Amino acid sequence: VEGREEGSGVPAFEKDPLELTVEDVYDISYVIGKDLLKVSRVGAEVSDLQFKIVRVLEMFEIMVNRYNLSLEELRMERDNWKEELGRVVAEGSNGNIIGPDKLVIDLKDPNRPRFTMQELKEVLQERNQLKAQLLLAQEELQLYKSGVMPQPQQNMENPPSDPPLTTEESIEHKDEKTTIQKL
Amino acid sequence: MAKKTYDLLFKLLLIGDSGVGKTCVLFRFSDDAFNTTFISTIGIDFKIKTVELQGKKIKLQIWDTAGQERFHTITTSYYRGAMGIMLVYDISNAKSFENISKWLRNIDEHANEDVERMLLGNKCDMEDKRIVPKAKGEQIAREHGIRFFETSAKANINIEKAFLTLAEDILRKTPVKEPNSENVDISTGGGVTGWKTKCCS
Repeated sequence: VEGREEGSGVPAFEKDPLELTVEDVYDISYVIGKDLLKVSRVGAEVSDLQFKIVRVLEMFEIMVNRYNLSLEELRMERDNWKEELGRVVAEGSNGNIIGPDKLVIDLKDPNRPRFTMQELKEVLQERNQLKAQLLLAQEELQLYKSGVMPQPQQNMENPPSDPPLTTEESIEHKDEKTTIQKL
Repeated sequence: MAKKTYDLLFKLLLIGDSGVGKTCVLFRFSDDAFNTTFISTIGIDFKIKTVELQGKKIKLQIWDTAGQERFHTITTSYYRGAMGIMLVYDISNAKSFENISKWLRNIDEHANEDVERMLLGNKCDMEDKRIVPKAKGEQIAREHGIRFFETSAKANINIEKAFLTLAEDILRKTPVKEPNSENVDISTGGGVTGWKTKCCS
């Protein structure tokens, strides 16, 4: 009865097409449907147009629906990427952007690590062996000076040897010495 | 004939968290000195000290390990040669006490089965900063059947006692042939060989 006024009064008609929701499409369909009913009472020849309009409205519904879904998907994807970016940036500032258990080395740092554990192990072994030999030499020198030892004598027993050989070697040396001393 | 400077050689090892004072404990024992500046041990170091026990001159070769995890592979390779191991924690550092079980596991994994173990709660001069009660140290030592001392390298408390006790415990289980007073060397050789047979068989 008051269709004319209603038609122009539906807010969906005034909206930005990109902001339309499926509900808006239903409102539009409702209004157009009411108008069509009025027209169809006037003449049956409009029924073909009526079907076409209904079909267009259905297509409209699908498109608006699909558009809104895509928009939502894109928004979610964007938020995920934002989060990921934030994480990567935070990690980058922590110095391990190349992954967990990895370390970035500043090649310009004169104090950067550059020797392997094996190399350190060998250097330490050599240091300790030399230290042991020095201690023995000092001991012998002391004996020699105090006149206990008549002459410098080979005394190479017990240098702290490489850890896996410790026991074996010291025994070998000991045996050696015992033999020498027995003579 | 050359006079030998010692009768027996014992190899000891110091382990425990970084900064608990292993190097200071050793420095106090070997040089009777103390240094407050903290220099982290690089990998492994050693000191020698000859002591006299039950009329025997015993040369102690004491290995001092780095407590830092990054030296783990180097330090654990020294466990096997040790006849005695001192596990040190810091009475003002709860973490170092909690890690005792980790260090004991390291001993089980890498050391000789019959290694003599000892627990030291170091820095006992710092009573105002104490976090680990003495009773807790005694308890964990009792649970594992090992000796326990609270020590202070700085105030020179129990340091010599700890080392001498460990050496005595090792000496007690070292089979030594009755020394022929004219030839000390044979008994020494016998002692070490005896120890070897015991630990490597």
